[in-house]
Amino acid sequence: MATQIPKELETQAESGQAVERRTVVQGIGAAVAATALPKFGVMTRSTALAAESGPVKIGFIEDYSGNLSVYGLQKLHAAQLAIKEINEGKTLKGGPVGAGGLGAEANFAGKPPTIGIQGTGLPVVNDGGPKDHKDVVFAEDEDVLIDSGDKGILGREVQLIAPDGQSNNALWQQLARRLIQQDKVDVLVAGFASAEREAIRPIVDRAKQLYFYTNQYEGGVADANTFCTGPVCEQQVIPGVSYMVEKFGPRGYTIAADYNFGQLTAAWTRAFAPLVGGEIIGEEFIPLSVSEFSTVIARIQQAKPDWVMTLLVGQNQHNYYPQAAAAGLRLPMVSTVNMAQGYEHRRFKPPSLAGMHNAIQYQMEVPTNRNRAFVKRWMAMFPNDQYIGEMAQNTYFTIHLYAKAVRLAGTTDQQQVKKALESGWTIEAPEGAVFLEPGTHHCAHYIRLAVCDENHNVSFPRSWPMIQAWWLQRLGVNLIRHPEYKQYVPDEDPYFAMFLKNKSKKT
Amino acid sequence: MDTLGLLASILYQFGTNAAFLLLAAIGLVVILGMMNIINLAHGELMMMGAYIATIVTHRGIPFPLAVLLAFLLVAMFGAALERVIIRRFYGHELGALVVTWGISLIMGQGTLLFFGPFMPSIGIPGGSFSLGAYSFATYWIVLIGVSAILIAALWWIYQNTRFGLMARATMQKAAMAEALGVNTDRVYMLTFALGSGLAGACGALLAPTVSISPLMGQQFVAPAFITVVVGGAANVLLGAIGSSLLLSAVKTPVGLLFGAFIGTVALLLTALIIIRLMPNGVSFYLQRFTERRVGA
Amino acid sequence: MRLLHLVNGGEDLGRSRWFWIGFAAVILALVALPLYQTEFEASNASYYLLNIPLALGLSMLWGYCGILSFGQVAYFGIAGYAYGVIAGNLTETSWGPLVGSVGGLLLCAAVGAIFGYFVFFGRVQGWIVPILTLVFTLLLETFLGQTAGYQWRIGAVQLGGYNGMTGIPPFQIGNFIFQGYAFYFFALSLTVAVYFISRILMNAHFGKIMIAIREDVLRTETLGYDVRFYQLGVFVLAAMLAGLSGLLYVQWGNYITPSQVGLLPAALPVIWVAVGGRNRLLAVAIATYLLNWINYTLSEAGNQYAPVIMGALLLLVMLFFPRGIIVAIAELRWPWRRDVTPVSVQDRSA
Repeated sequence: MATQIPKELETQAESGQAVERRTVVQGIGAAVAATALPKFGVMTRSTALAAESGPVKIGFIEDYSGNLSVYGLQKLHAAQLAIKEINEGKTLKGGPVGAGGLGAEANFAGKPPTIGIQGTGLPVVNDGGPKDHKDVVFAEDEDVLIDSGDKGILGREVQLIAPDGQSNNALWQQLARRLIQQDKVDVLVAGFASAEREAIRPIVDRAKQLYFYTNQYEGGVADANTFCTGPVCEQQVIPGVSYMVEKFGPRGYTIAADYNFGQLTAAWTRAFAPLVGGEIIGEEFIPLSVSEFSTVIARIQQAKPDWVMTLLVGQNQHNYYPQAAAAGLRLPMVSTVNMAQGYEHRRFKPPSLAGMHNAIQYQMEVPTNRNRAFVKRWMAMFPNDQYIGEMAQNTYFTIHLYAKAVRLAGTTDQQQVKKALESGWTIEAPEGAVFLEPGTHHCAHYIRLAVCDENHNVSFPRSWPMIQAWWLQRLGVNLIRHPEYKQYVPDEDPYFAMFLKNKSKKT
Repeated sequence: MDTLGLLASILYQFGTNAAFLLLAAIGLVVILGMMNIINLAHGELMMMGAYIATIVTHRGIPFPLAVLLAFLLVAMFGAALERVIIRRFYGHELGALVVTWGISLIMGQGTLLFFGPFMPSIGIPGGSFSLGAYSFATYWIVLIGVSAILIAALWWIYQNTRFGLMARATMQKAAMAEALGVNTDRVYMLTFALGSGLAGACGALLAPTVSISPLMGQQFVAPAFITVVVGGAANVLLGAIGSSLLLSAVKTPVGLLFGAFIGTVALLLTALIIIRLMPNGVSFYLQRFTERRVGA
Repeated sequence: MRLLHLVNGGEDLGRSRWFWIGFAAVILALVALPLYQTEFEASNASYYLLNIPLALGLSMLWGYCGILSFGQVAYFGIAGYAYGVIAGNLTETSWGPLVGSVGGLLLCAAVGAIFGYFVFFGRVQGWIVPILTLVFTLLLETFLGQTAGYQWRIGAVQLGGYNGMTGIPPFQIGNFIFQGYAFYFFALSLTVAVYFISRILMNAHFGKIMIAIREDVLRTETLGYDVRFYQLGVFVLAAMLAGLSGLLYVQWGNYITPSQVGLLPAALPVIWVAVGGRNRLLAVAIATYLLNWINYTLSEAGNQYAPVIMGALLLLVMLFFPRGIIVAIAELRWPWRRDVTPVSVQDRSA
């Protein structure tokens, strides 16, 4: 099928996203990774004209230069890997299951931790060992990449159009306009920082563009055109805090980056700690430009908490970890961003991150067969990559999910694909089964508690196979019946005020 | 015991805040304060020092030696930079500012392309000790001492060596110095190299405490400029000491009481107010004060 | 007649008949742009154009008066936010955007006047001004970045913290909303108007005093001019022009974030102005348009080298064409050219 348009095939082979000739692709993929200078296929305008024929175009904006490039490059590679697999006729397991939960299509990765189990104190046996109710039993799962019976999507090649956002919001708007108006992409997958998402969302809504935002974020986006496939506060804060309270004691101290993500996640922590028996005894918001933390460390020592919630973002604020470790501040930490995104445990010398806990949805070390297979496929294509973070995995399964939805819809017409996506999908991602909730356009995720030890080895002592992104559901958001285009904040939810009152009673 | 700990903690924070400002500023003190070159690539020179120190420490070279190596290599780089580019901009302050900004762009993104977005950092040498509820990093205590030694050494070089004499003469009146047989060209080059080398060494010294990434230099630029500007040009070394102590004296208590955000705002506001009230910088008043003392 | 004479004064490029024919041709080509470009490309062109007033303001401030400011984006941001707040609260009326625009410009003028008073009447040394303006814009960025909470709501509009202010209404007069091609013409006409006003101003007596201040503050003062007053005046003017760019920006993108007043955006106008040739308004306008276009084209191709190329461009221009590349091209001895445009006063502020 793809051979019907050999000219385009050639241009794509040059750009490192070829379809049929696997050897060519691998060779180029390796070369691309080796030089770390990917040249992305930029389409000419003539190819944009033909709808429903020619390639399926995935518009993709991330930052390959500037401050956020460490994340952008990972996500780009994820998109390239997914598109290569789709064009080779592969897909992830899963299918539409209706509203509610994982359903019949799901076989979520059931295998709990085996490697790096030392120090967690949890006995683990495999199928052959002695079993009692305290132990964790596991069975190795199989790989989830299967044949789709479809090279490309509906027989059409998939092409990636990936301009560089340069960590610059004005540029993001220009690029989003170009992809939507000029290239007429079939789907837009874009955005690391919330500011980038908010920059392009008005443009997306004006054009009714199907848009995926794949990052972990502060939650609350209810937008009929936007699908958020990353985890949100309620999926990470509550499990993380409940574990900390149970293991280390009730008193927590929050240090957070002084912007939307930090402030909102801190609000979630403050509101929900009382529900799981904890309390937040102190809170501090730190400007993104601060890079020297002796005062912050002293304030924490003054407050004497049992654990610290660290919601620090950006390269300046990452300095906190080595500085706190060197100052002898050895309190257990919990976070929703560390390790899984910026792989601090690989970048900092041990024991800077010792005692870091994070209720993550994915990170490279997840000890399942399907994930090992995913990592292997990734490293075969990009042997020089340092890490695969959660937003890279999200991008990967999101693009596979899009391909499946188009196949169900039978067309790339965006309104039809949106309807197809709203039929309640389960997809078997490397993290485990992911369920896309139709009414809120958010995903239920497989959440694991990642713990970093003295030598920066990561273990996963606890896992929650499915946690819903329930907050928007509670607010009554149903984008199928009542399309909206806004972002909710906790202040708008009376429920939150109730939790906070709850807290003030206890303290 | 706890009041003692609190007291020690406040003193320690005061010291680390001041040392951080001073270390961020030392290279700039020489280049901006003495040569009047507004060097916006200062942060990138520090980044270069940090990269050199990190790379060679990973290869097993002891850390102090790595700092020395960072000093030498960045100083050589600075000398080359001065020869090829900077020397065309003496007397053109704003031109130098623009051109050094171009250099910083190239160095920052070039490092990203060459080394990738991150490099594993080196651990902070030395351990920690505690006093009451508070604990302190030995390395920061060392850094406080090292920054004092660096500034003293710089003082000594400029007051007591032949190079210092020639440099001071050149900075005050280049034409006259030249007429008296000073090779001003060489003095400029050496001064720029010294400033770059110091920036590199300070970057190396701070490397264990920060994350190593291509754009890490940016975090030092604002503190460095604020320190030097608040210090003023009357006597740059004295000014740098005075302003880093003063700014730290504002930032530490405010930050401790009201948190990091208010602390940062207070620091910037203090800088604005000082510049308004003392347009010649802290050093002008410090110098007048010391001169009066000496005169009396 | 006197105005025409001022337009053709010596303080900008191009005075010959052929120059004006060429100028008219370029304007005509820009006016006819909808004939050969899509609406999307026109929207991009509007973006390149809307940065020009900011750059012209900086050119007058730096190139003509010798005051370098790194903080012009602060006024860009102030105007954008003020417009967002005012127009966002007056959505029921059709004149909300107009009030917002005027309010944004006035706020810029007020803030510029207060800041400028501190700087110029405090007689701060020349080389400290860029640092001070930079600190001011970083302070603004830090402040705006932490306004995410619900308490930072002005009327119906949320400041929005680091994620920025969304849903800013487009410009509107009566019931006519400026979008797409209409906005392009709006931006184009404003830009051209600002250019001519600046050009007239710099050729007038005011401009001569500017240049005198740049060349020698003391001498200008002894001639009886209150230098501080003129410096303040040009500073406020530049602040308002930066504000105008900010207004156009939010009307174009309906969105603004604190990072718009951050370190990199703060330095970009300095590049545009330096690369073009800081004491020639036309050169600055051309360079602003072209450099924005180059940056967009590089990033569109997903090219990681964009910052390196911009940096290298800056470096090369400063080394080989210290007076600006556009100025250098304009002053080449073209074979068909009989007289070389006289250079009014050699710029020594560099």
